[in-house]
Amino acid sequence: MRFRAKIVDLACLNHFSRIINTIAKLAKTCILRLTVCKLYFILSDKVANGGASMWCELSQGNFFDEFQMEGVAAEHNEIYLELVPENLSRALKTSQSAKAVKMKLTNKHSPCLRVAVELPSLSSSSRIVTHDIPVGVIPRRMWNDFREPSVPDFDVSIYLPVLKTMKSVVERMKNLSNFIVIEANLSGEMNLKIETDLVSVTTHFKDLGNPPWASEDGCQSSAQGRDLESMTEACIDIKKLQQLLAGQQVNPTKALCNIVHKRIVHFILLHEEVSLQYFIPAIS
Amino acid sequence: MKCVIAGGNVKVLGRAVHSLSRIGDELYLEPTESGLSLRAVNSSRSGFASFLFAPLFFQLYEPGSAGPETELFRCKVHMKSFLGIFRSLPSLEKSVGKCLILLKPRASRLVLQLHCKYGVTKTHNLAFQECERLQAVFDTQSCTSHLCAPARLLAEAVVHFPPTLAEVTLGTGPGGKISLRNYVEDEAEPSKTMVTELWLAEDEFQSVAVAPGSHITFCLKEFRGLLSFAEASNLPLTIHFDEPGRPVIFTLDDTVLEVHLVLATLSDLQSNSQSPSTNGVSHLPAPSDDFADDLESYMVAMETSEGGSERPPSPTFPLRAPQPAQSEPEEEEEEEGAVPGTPPHKKFRSLFFGSVMTPGRPGPATTQEVLAEDSEGES
Amino acid sequence: MPLSAQPPASGERYALSASLDNARHLSSLLRAVHFQDHATCLATASGLRVTVEDAKCIQANAFIQAEIFQEFSVQEESVMFRISLSVLLDCLTIFGTSSLPGTSTALRMCYRGYGYPLMLFLEEGGVVTVCKINTQEPDELLDFDFCSTKVVNKIILQSEGLREAFAELDMTSEVLQITMSPDKPYFRLSTFGNAGSAHLDYPRDSDLMEAFHCSQTQTNRYKISLLKPSTKALALSCKVSIRTDAQGFLSLQYMIRNEDGQICFVEYYCCPDENITEAEL
Repeated sequence: MRFRAKIVDLACLNHFSRIINTIAKLAKTCILRLTVCKLYFILSDKVANGGASMWCELSQGNFFDEFQMEGVAAEHNEIYLELVPENLSRALKTSQSAKAVKMKLTNKHSPCLRVAVELPSLSSSSRIVTHDIPVGVIPRRMWNDFREPSVPDFDVSIYLPVLKTMKSVVERMKNLSNFIVIEANLSGEMNLKIETDLVSVTTHFKDLGNPPWASEDGCQSSAQGRDLESMTEACIDIKKLQQLLAGQQVNPTKALCNIVHKRIVHFILLHEEVSLQYFIPAIS
Repeated sequence: MKCVIAGGNVKVLGRAVHSLSRIGDELYLEPTESGLSLRAVNSSRSGFASFLFAPLFFQLYEPGSAGPETELFRCKVHMKSFLGIFRSLPSLEKSVGKCLILLKPRASRLVLQLHCKYGVTKTHNLAFQECERLQAVFDTQSCTSHLCAPARLLAEAVVHFPPTLAEVTLGTGPGGKISLRNYVEDEAEPSKTMVTELWLAEDEFQSVAVAPGSHITFCLKEFRGLLSFAEASNLPLTIHFDEPGRPVIFTLDDTVLEVHLVLATLSDLQSNSQSPSTNGVSHLPAPSDDFADDLESYMVAMETSEGGSERPPSPTFPLRAPQPAQSEPEEEEEEEGAVPGTPPHKKFRSLFFGSVMTPGRPGPATTQEVLAEDSEGES
Repeated sequence: MPLSAQPPASGERYALSASLDNARHLSSLLRAVHFQDHATCLATASGLRVTVEDAKCIQANAFIQAEIFQEFSVQEESVMFRISLSVLLDCLTIFGTSSLPGTSTALRMCYRGYGYPLMLFLEEGGVVTVCKINTQEPDELLDFDFCSTKVVNKIILQSEGLREAFAELDMTSEVLQITMSPDKPYFRLSTFGNAGSAHLDYPRDSDLMEAFHCSQTQTNRYKISLLKPSTKALALSCKVSIRTDAQGFLSLQYMIRNEDGQICFVEYYCCPDENITEAEL
């Protein structure tokens, strides 16, 4: 089992750092899955996260100049590691002006992901900073626990409003209530609502658009015959939503959510090279 | 004592106070013929700092008169109170034109008066306590290793470590490289803590004269205070150190200012037979591309391990065996003059103290590092 | 129950109904008096007054005159209710607090009368937020009976000179002592904390001093914890007037200029602290 990778391009490095920062805001520990083509950050320890789970996927070719991976065995050419993303975030934080960043899986006394940052210096040789991030290697028999979650059979799928506005509103609502109701319909309307003894606040978003999903039988029949105006809703922990929005440092290319009435909200945030899915269950 | 500080020097004084506040809870003021000395010591007596401002630093400097039987007046004040006066450095720069310091022994008050913009005057009357001399005896000449670097280099180095990191290990490696590494305590699970190490080339320093293979571990938090002062004043920082366990001395020099920071270092209690990667002994080579990669055998061991659920534990670290503190003659003196205080880190030996020193300049090299106790209660 | 996103038509009879193009004109002023959770709102034809009190010793009032609003109508002579100021501020700033150039939140406020909630309709960039905040029975407010004929000493200072001083007050002192005098030290703020005493002196001929009318030497002490919140009003204001009457009651009036250059006032009244022994001067 081997892993070595290198990033030389500063823009790629900064983009990668931003992604790690977002992951670090959502999960205290998570799984890093390495395959030949992709990296995945997975959070599925549901009980510990109040039921929320995360699946983030990136194509290694968009970030790394060198990427060599050998999995546990030929037919299982993957590596699953458990780590604290905050460590990785810290290691990359001070690498903003690096000449190169190398990553390597090592096992001197315990498995570590060694991040070596080569920094410019006034002297003849570069400055090197190494960060040994402790990781746990997940054995193959446990890999099934970390499969990609399927898209739920949702009642409504809708594009999210401008994240900056959504973030401000949710942050204020967080001061007023612990729970928030997200409701949306097939006419591109979404409402965010909180209600307590003291106050009710509802924010109305219009003209958001509903993404077209092809259904399994090849036609978009699920929408026909349904009342386009009727709202599907789910009441969720407002803190989880706020964390998701606070972690977004750059506007995604596409942002949408799928709501299963009173069951779960499934967020999908797509950037050019990375996709993030976040599942927040409804409070019963 | 009466002195006046004008213009940009007020901010310099403010920065010095900020630096000293990182060390101790009390600020010692000692006017001498060669200038005004501000000092602090930490509660476990393992850190000491002094700033000596020469008479030229001041617009007016009158240390007071010392008769044949009386000494120049010394006192100590609460650090928090003194710091409060200089808390906002930007506003000091913006609005304060002059600072007057007046020691009024008979009124039991230390007066600090700031003359500000728009004719505004801020007068602080601080309570003080008389005290004996707080003096550390140290001799930079007797240290085996010396490093001198622009403050900026060291500031760029410590930025890679989290602000909360308590201790750091400074070491020398092959090729003359100098390393900095975060210190992980024995009690913390070594396999759970991230280890960061930074390597600096010899030619990044202004001068390097170090014993090969040497290393010391000291408190980073206390050092950061001095580092920000050095960076702001654009002064090069010199580090004098010796064996582990002997104090490290940081110095800054200027025409009107002399700064010393003395910190205890961790004793090297482990035997040399221990494996190289445990903290405290940096036998690590400078990083290259060929790291040993033993994951294959590790994975084999994991796949074949029995048992229900969890992944097998990582191979254990050889643990450092705690050893009793070395007994040296100074220990006895420590009992006499020791002031009980909870050390911030149990492992740091206190820079212990002996009897009260007679007034005068610090003596030349002695083999002991002694901090004289300010012993108001004792005679 | 979903709240209708449509504000009520102007024809309906509301005890209070008002519109404001830029909600910040209201929210920033309210922040200057936000040192307790609850506030009493009084609406009359002249405008809106929001009052916050504490310890029966201190009262702060924010005045937003009717001319600031694009529309302001009060059906009866006056309308009064108590409301959570924290909740009101969270609602007024629902779209965020940073002021991007060119963007502002429009506000419409409606109150049906006694026992009804306060309704807010906020709009920015096409997004509408509707808030329904419960109201309570208004408290009886203190009357400091402070009028200009009873003023003994008065000075007007540029706020810039006091801001830092107030932000850096020694909070280990129980009191803030204010000395005003026709002779030295003219105007002095003093604290007596754990460290010792501190005095801040402003000479009468300072550039900061816009007006100086002191006829008698007066020294009064006020509980510092009650006056400290006035720092918020000081931060927003360009000028402050400091007045005391014969009993030592203190009036602080802050002149605040909003983004459109309109002037609003916030005032703080404070009783002198009687229960302290003579502190050193």
